[in-house]
Amino acid sequence: MTTTMFSSLARQAGRLWALGLAAGLALTMAAIGPADAHGEKSQAAFLRMRTLNWYDLKWSKTNVTVNEEYEITGKLHIMNSWPAAIEVPNQCFLNTGQPGAMAARLGVWVGAPGQMQFTPRSMKLEVGKTYAFRVLLKARRPGHWHTHVQLSVKTGGPIPGPGAYIDIKGNFADYKDEVKLLNGTTVDIEDYGQGKIYMWHLFWIIVGGWWILYWFGKRGFIGRFAWVASGKAEEIITPQERMVGAITLAATLLIVIIFYAMTVSGNPNTIPLQAGDFRNIQALENEVDSGPITIKYVNGTYKVPGRELVANFKITNNGKEPLRIGEFNTAGLRFLNPDVYTSKVEYPDYLLADRGLSLSDPAPIAPGETRDVAVTVQDARWDTERLSGLAYDVDSSFAGVLFFFSPSGARYPMEVGGSVIPTFMPV
Amino acid sequence: MLRYKSMKTGAAPAAESISASPGIEGGAGANAPVAAPNVGAVAHAGSPFHSRAEAATAVKTADLLILTFLFLIMIGGYHVHAMLTMGDWDFWVDWKDRRMWPTVLPIMLVTFPAAAQYFFWEHFRLPFGATFLCVALLFGEWLDRYISFWGWTFYPINLVWPTSLVPQALFLDIVLLLSRSFIVAAIVGSMGFSLLLYPNNWVILAQYHAPTEQYGTLMSLADVIGFHNVRTSMPEYIRIIERGTMRTFGKDVVGVAAFFSGFVSIIVYFVWWYVGMMFSTTKYMKHI
Repeated sequence: MTTTMFSSLARQAGRLWALGLAAGLALTMAAIGPADAHGEKSQAAFLRMRTLNWYDLKWSKTNVTVNEEYEITGKLHIMNSWPAAIEVPNQCFLNTGQPGAMAARLGVWVGAPGQMQFTPRSMKLEVGKTYAFRVLLKARRPGHWHTHVQLSVKTGGPIPGPGAYIDIKGNFADYKDEVKLLNGTTVDIEDYGQGKIYMWHLFWIIVGGWWILYWFGKRGFIGRFAWVASGKAEEIITPQERMVGAITLAATLLIVIIFYAMTVSGNPNTIPLQAGDFRNIQALENEVDSGPITIKYVNGTYKVPGRELVANFKITNNGKEPLRIGEFNTAGLRFLNPDVYTSKVEYPDYLLADRGLSLSDPAPIAPGETRDVAVTVQDARWDTERLSGLAYDVDSSFAGVLFFFSPSGARYPMEVGGSVIPTFMPV
Repeated sequence: MLRYKSMKTGAAPAAESISASPGIEGGAGANAPVAAPNVGAVAHAGSPFHSRAEAATAVKTADLLILTFLFLIMIGGYHVHAMLTMGDWDFWVDWKDRRMWPTVLPIMLVTFPAAAQYFFWEHFRLPFGATFLCVALLFGEWLDRYISFWGWTFYPINLVWPTSLVPQALFLDIVLLLSRSFIVAAIVGSMGFSLLLYPNNWVILAQYHAPTEQYGTLMSLADVIGFHNVRTSMPEYIRIIERGTMRTFGKDVVGVAAFFSGFVSIIVYFVWWYVGMMFSTTKYMKHI
């Protein structure tokens, strides 16, 4: 009696639990929205900070119509602090991280002004050097799309750069992607040759289907199984059926061979898929680490509760003008010194901390002066962009680029970085 | 199945009662079940059927159900295998190169057809194992390419069309039918399965190997289609396809790749024929 009662209760509890689980799952699914980022936050903080530094990024337009071209330009510094966890970019590919083919990538160029190399394939970039890039895109599908630049590195995978939203309006049906062939004809690669694809696949699937049904019609499965099981396997296929097979084989081979020969003669000038990496990409001169500055990282702390990085540097100004630190750029985030950036900066808001940088001594560093400077980089974006994870990384180090500015308008980007000691939340 | 379960001897069970199933042609009622009386007659003792017509209908229904379920199962099983092993070489037009594509695909795809040929040939003398599998795979692939690749992510079909496989499968099946030997099927059939891949698909692919100049760089149309249609990461960043050529053999890369693939496919066929043998049994399920 007791056992029956307990088993009944257990069944009821089990049903309620299953019902609750189902309801919970349904509720979580109700909250699902479209995915519009590309996993950049999922990558370890040290990895994003120490591999690449993207700066001077510009999206030429953020509102376009179908078939309209736009471009992303900027500079890419391959960090000296490149971590050992990833192979150096001897083979890499500048890509766009976007939700599928919402825009056609018409071209990607990397190099220095006047010497930009079109790179539709992999290339070699060198650690410590800085490259300009240009990505030309053409709007394809209407929508509100988050678009990044990203560098895909052999064995390392994609390393996304900063992203911005692109709004595409118009009608997808109007989209055209015309390409001129060497023989002078122009084709729309959006649907070029699809008729042949459908025709040949349909034809062979019909032939294959006929072959299956022809044999299935000869006593089906159960009847044939019975015949074979009763030892009549050699009698079940008739000479006429073998003849049908032989004719089908001959017809199949003839069709393949004849149409192959026709295709070869109809397309005399074909080339294989093109391969080969691009080497000797020209780097920019007078960019990162070329300023008249000696900078030594002393130490640093990261306060998890305050989302605050304090980095101590010993800086020597070897130039002829006083210098001020105006910006710290890391992993696509820009922390600005409001004393230097006095006007609004065009940059995606979620990556821009326009008051995120402060200095222990805001006075400019005079020519010839050596000064100890504590740079404080504080903003909630450390957390929202998950860079605060550096306190928990296997390699608790930061890296980035500090931008120095002179009164005459010169800008000197300097790579900095080193290990930090985290301060955790009080328990 | 009930009929089989009731048989205790196990010797040619169905043949004693139903010597030919209805099927679609030739079988229906051609050989009346011995145990079943004529239409309208009262059921014979021991027969599960009331009449010959009822038996014929039941067997026909069972045949169609088996065909349908096998087709659906093969779509799933073979499709998963294919996507995990040949994946990108079949997904993209700019991966259908002349070296790795004709090498990888036949080796990976001759597997399930070999096992299916054992099952269909040894138990049913049906020479359509390979064709059945390849038609099922293509059916699944087209659903995937049209609904997922085009319908959801809007990649043009000329970027994502699947490799045509039916002529190769027919060759494999008919060699088995005519030779009645799985060894001949393995050697001749598997070799043909590999060698036919490129010419059979060139009728579609050739148009995408037309040359074009893009900003001073020579590219095939397939390269351009792949480059314009952004895939966020893996397929395009470092393509392990066509990294040059086989210098020893000059430009005849396809032939070398296809013959190499054919030789490996022969070995793979043997292995998978025995895989078919191991699993074409009910001994793993003692109680149904």
